[in-house]
Amino acid sequence: MTPPMPPRWAETLLHLVLNSRDQATVSGDLLEEFRESILPTRGPWAADGWYIRQVMGFVVRSHVLPALVFGGAFVVRTALDWLQPPADFHTRSLVSTLVAASILLVSGFFASWKSGAILAGGLAGITTTALAALLSTIGALGLLAIWHDPTTLQAIKGSGGLREVFFLPLMLIVPGALLGTIGGVVGTLVHWSVRRSS
Amino acid sequence: MTLSGESYIVGFVADVLGNFEQAVLLSVLRLGDGAYGRAILNEVQARLDREIAAGAVHATLNRLEGKGLLTSSLGPGTEVRAGRPRRYYKLSSSGQRALHEARAAVNNLWRGFRSPLKGHS
Repeated sequence: MTPPMPPRWAETLLHLVLNSRDQATVSGDLLEEFRESILPTRGPWAADGWYIRQVMGFVVRSHVLPALVFGGAFVVRTALDWLQPPADFHTRSLVSTLVAASILLVSGFFASWKSGAILAGGLAGITTTALAALLSTIGALGLLAIWHDPTTLQAIKGSGGLREVFFLPLMLIVPGALLGTIGGVVGTLVHWSVRRSS
Repeated sequence: MTLSGESYIVGFVADVLGNFEQAVLLSVLRLGDGAYGRAILNEVQARLDREIAAGAVHATLNRLEGKGLLTSSLGPGTEVRAGRPRRYYKLSSSGQRALHEARAAVNNLWRGFRSPLKGHS
């Protein structure tokens, strides 16, 4: 009989967010706990759920910093648009697009450099954008709770409306995956070239 | 009020070493030669009496190793781990010193109080 295994996709995800040094040891620790403690006491469904929760903890933890920066930048941009609306949004949009792209490229680069896998960059782009979307939504709701006078509401309308504030971050997940992957290609190349030379 | 050099260092180390870091370091110390990831996770959970995410322990172990408070080495894998190796941790001399200083800082804070506390509510 083959020994029980946690969901394969979750194991793959775990490898993508770990430093190449820790991939075998940490996945071994989780597998050991899964087989010896969790599965016998909680049953297969709950054991799979436990394993997935642990992996998600690793995923969120490894992308929380770029997500905070990205989400923070989004909230700052929203606050500026609402409280200091410019006559022309072009320059502001250009700057915030460049900031967002840089964060995602760097996030993808470091994820792939750490793990040695291009896919890690794409995952970093998706997770960073999704977490940033959540943070920016919370931030925008906070701004709205503080400033909802007629002048601000007019400025919100002029800058694209609330729909854009709440849906744009979610729409960035696909470009986020793409930019993360581009950063990931460079990160993987650096990972393997450093490894080869040492 | 001025701080003496010793109490300043004690205060600084206690600030740098958080409660969770102390729990991890003490678990490594308790487990001795058997201090590897899963054993440390279970020991920390038992001592803190709550479920802890494996990622939190892993991140803390990496951070403490980066600070030079822990050292690590690889050990062989077992069948239940599908042959994957274990990483064993040991407290470095800096780690032992940091734990002593963190304890001294707490003792310093409690000096002058009797346990159980009376008349301070």
